[in-house]
Amino acid sequence: MKISGNWLKDYVHFSLPPHELADKLTHAGLVVAGIQLVEDDFCLDIEVTSNRPDCLGIIGIAREIAALTGGALQLPEVNQPDENKKTSETISVTVEEPLLCPRYTAQVIKEVTIKSSPEWMQKRLISIGLRPVNNIADITNYVMMETGQPLHAFDLDKLSGNKVVVRKAEAGEEFIAINGAQRALFHDMLIIADEKNPIAIAGIMGGKESEVSESTRNIFLECAQFESRQVRRTSKAVGIASDSSYRFERGTDPEGICRASHRAIQLIQDLAGGKVSGNFLDIKTRIRKPKIVTLRINKLNQVLGTNLNADRASGILKQLQFTILAGSNHFLDVEIPSFREEIYREIDLIEEVGRIYGYNNIPTNTSIRVRGNARSKREIIEDTVRNFFTGTGFYEVKTFSIVDTSPLQAINLWSNTEGFDIANPLRQEESRLRTSLLPSLIKVKKHNMNHGTERIKIFEIAKVYIKTDDRLPQEKTCLSFLDCTDFFTGKGIIEALLSHLGIPSKPDWTGYSEKRLFQEGRAARILMDETTIGYLGDANRKLECKTSIVLCEFDMDFLVKETPFTIKYNTVIPYPPAFRDLGLIVKEETTWASIEKCIASTQTSFLAKIRFLDIYRGKQVPEGKKSVSLNLCFQAHDRTLKSEDIDTAVEHMLKSLYKNLGAELRKL
Amino acid sequence: MFFIFEKATMTEQIEDIRKNLQEKIKGAKTLKEAEQIKIHFLGRNGVISHLMKQIPLLPVDQRSLFGKTVNSLKAEITETIEKLFANCIHESAQKGRQELFDITLPGKCPGIGKKHPLTQTIEDIKEVFSRLGFDVAYGPEVELEYYNFEALNIPSDHPSRTDFDTFYIKEDVLLRSQTSTVQIRTMEKCPPPIRIIAPGVVYRPDTVDARHSFMFHQVEGLLVDEDVSFADLKGVLEQFIKTYFGHDVQMRFRPSFFPFTEPSAEVDISCSICKGKGCSVCSYSGWVEILGAGMVDPNVFKAVRYDEEKYAGFAFGMGVERITMLKYGIDDIRLFYENDIRFLSQF
Repeated sequence: MKISGNWLKDYVHFSLPPHELADKLTHAGLVVAGIQLVEDDFCLDIEVTSNRPDCLGIIGIAREIAALTGGALQLPEVNQPDENKKTSETISVTVEEPLLCPRYTAQVIKEVTIKSSPEWMQKRLISIGLRPVNNIADITNYVMMETGQPLHAFDLDKLSGNKVVVRKAEAGEEFIAINGAQRALFHDMLIIADEKNPIAIAGIMGGKESEVSESTRNIFLECAQFESRQVRRTSKAVGIASDSSYRFERGTDPEGICRASHRAIQLIQDLAGGKVSGNFLDIKTRIRKPKIVTLRINKLNQVLGTNLNADRASGILKQLQFTILAGSNHFLDVEIPSFREEIYREIDLIEEVGRIYGYNNIPTNTSIRVRGNARSKREIIEDTVRNFFTGTGFYEVKTFSIVDTSPLQAINLWSNTEGFDIANPLRQEESRLRTSLLPSLIKVKKHNMNHGTERIKIFEIAKVYIKTDDRLPQEKTCLSFLDCTDFFTGKGIIEALLSHLGIPSKPDWTGYSEKRLFQEGRAARILMDETTIGYLGDANRKLECKTSIVLCEFDMDFLVKETPFTIKYNTVIPYPPAFRDLGLIVKEETTWASIEKCIASTQTSFLAKIRFLDIYRGKQVPEGKKSVSLNLCFQAHDRTLKSEDIDTAVEHMLKSLYKNLGAELRKL
Repeated sequence: MFFIFEKATMTEQIEDIRKNLQEKIKGAKTLKEAEQIKIHFLGRNGVISHLMKQIPLLPVDQRSLFGKTVNSLKAEITETIEKLFANCIHESAQKGRQELFDITLPGKCPGIGKKHPLTQTIEDIKEVFSRLGFDVAYGPEVELEYYNFEALNIPSDHPSRTDFDTFYIKEDVLLRSQTSTVQIRTMEKCPPPIRIIAPGVVYRPDTVDARHSFMFHQVEGLLVDEDVSFADLKGVLEQFIKTYFGHDVQMRFRPSFFPFTEPSAEVDISCSICKGKGCSVCSYSGWVEILGAGMVDPNVFKAVRYDEEKYAGFAFGMGVERITMLKYGIDDIRLFYENDIRFLSQF
């Protein structure tokens, strides 16, 4: 909302320079976003929050300044006739929807001369960014800016049947607005109509047909209150917003209508030579009872942490034009003015007092009561995982959880369902909640590749969204990583992570196929007690990432759940271990897991660890077989082992390997 | 089975080879001579190769040990010859030009990784508030309309709803536009006193530009107890701001409007870029807005059935991206989601 300094001075006296005034308003909650100096005037751009419709008129801002500076408020004198009538000889008005239009006033003014408005008025309108049109339009705008109450003038002679009706639109009715917008109307829209057609969308915009023009002689001046939700809905539905709809949506002063109307009537008489014809119509369907709220002084100080007395509080409220009906040292009974309808509770009054007293004058209390808290397991584990990955050279990334609907993004490793679509997306590129983090990581890899960093190591901890029978999806936290290495390096990272976290059991790895993401035959599903806890695989080369990459998506919730809280210490054995290397010739299809399992099943004494060394296929190894070499570590708790101990153990082991897997010792 | 062999034969043979090697090395001075020695011992038809070929001719139980011995001999010879090569290179260098051990050459760096700058900010925030006894709470990102709006005193058709423009999934299911939803979920579950911060992702259908992103991070705080005042809110936020932005930073509280707090405030800090003199970051005002706060509105307490006379509380919320941008002078929010390593590696 733009405010002219000179205009403001009509209603309140102040001598502050513009930037000091701006500072005061900002500290009272009316943020001045900009100050513009123009000739002998200045213009403040004020951000009015949605709870302060009273400040959408210059008088409202003047009231605030009066309260902040102690300056007196001087409002323009307006002649308001005592008695308002419901009929007029010239035209009849019917309000069919009293709930949506609680008050409707109108006045017929005849023999107006349409011309430019006087220079002073034009200058004021221009200073706050409005374009002067003609004297009638300018007056309605001027009064709206002054009071915050929208008004509209119709060309009386263009209305058919001497009849105005406030009613719901009929489906199929058409309307052309002043700004040229043509709209089909629907039944739930409130309109102003003459005998035949809509002449305005209530509170939003008047019609082209009945617009005041150079040839206008007689006018019908409307000043009304329209229900804010109705205006908001309709404005959205027809896609038309105006200064008028902006104010009705936020709520206008129900008691300010007559005043605003009479102010305009007076100006029209003065500046356009119009003559009032017939009665001033006032159709009021709601009797407003003044609201009275009690403010307890101890509650005020309790909430703010201040030590204000009743006099100070009542002083502030009076300056803001609240009426104090009764009071003592302990309480005030406060009548709320009609232009502050949003105030209806004690807490609202406390805010008013605190706001004008100044938040920066409220003390700062740095000693608050102590309350212990323990870090949750999730916090600790996520932290450990992040440190593990950054420590091994990975960068953490954050990517969008709203993605496009391409086949790659449709990958869902955790369920067969599709992702959630957004009903009102901004763009097709961001229209669905993701079901996997991996496509986003590939995108990051490509971005870096195209910007000169080919090899990257990245990880992300974020949610994927899985459909359930509930109204809300399951939000599963995943840990995903991408590395420019291969399957086994990736597997090593997982194994190292599990061991780092102290998760004792080892997962099972089974073959997995997801052709969009992984290379066929080089991907695995990771299982723990038959529950899937992750996927790992070499990326499909069709993803075009230049370097080979390994992708992994892991169940973060599993890690949080399974990580033990404490690590059990094992004695460090003082005796040296002994090592033996074995080269085994086995069938190509014999897996490492089966060799490991077979060795474990022999329950070989002193065997502490089996370590895989490598696989060899070549001249010395027959077709269809491979040589697997491994390293065995033997360890006794109570002595240094002798070679005989180990020889016997190895012999026993070899027998079992031959019997079960047909494995033979590789001869040199 | 493993350790049966004829010690004498083996040892003698090996000793001979060693002597032979030493003799040959003595005479060698040039790289060419070194190359010849290498071929003699390690070449395809060299001494070692010859020994290897004998393996299949040995009795089965001796093969392994013999092989091992030959292998260790091979390693020994290889090492000796490598030293010879190094010496020859050094000598030829001595003759030709001086070779510099250039200690100013760059070091070899093991890869390091970094946490995302937004994670670092969230951790910093958590750290400050955990000292004040705040727990960390989380809530769903896909939310019921009730938690995002009604329970927070934002009725439908209220103009303030435009301040929280929202992505919808279904009629009453949406992507939360603020982490305040966690306040309600926490208060529904636990009686007072409450002391939480809730970090998380929120969504608003804003067109992406240097200042806006349709997804961003917030941290929300909530404290509910008996005898809690606006002065306490100021104290808690002051401790946070001084810790995060530095002790010389000025702060101010301005009245504002949020449907879920009353009184409501916005908190500005003196611009760290221009030190309050005025620059483009602070729109020449000397102040930058960093968070919104206020006393919990009684209507919110009503929604979670707290006794609004007995308890009071305050809440605050801040944008993680915004705070991070201010702290480091980052001018484009999109950088956080591009994840360019050249950006990420700076924090």
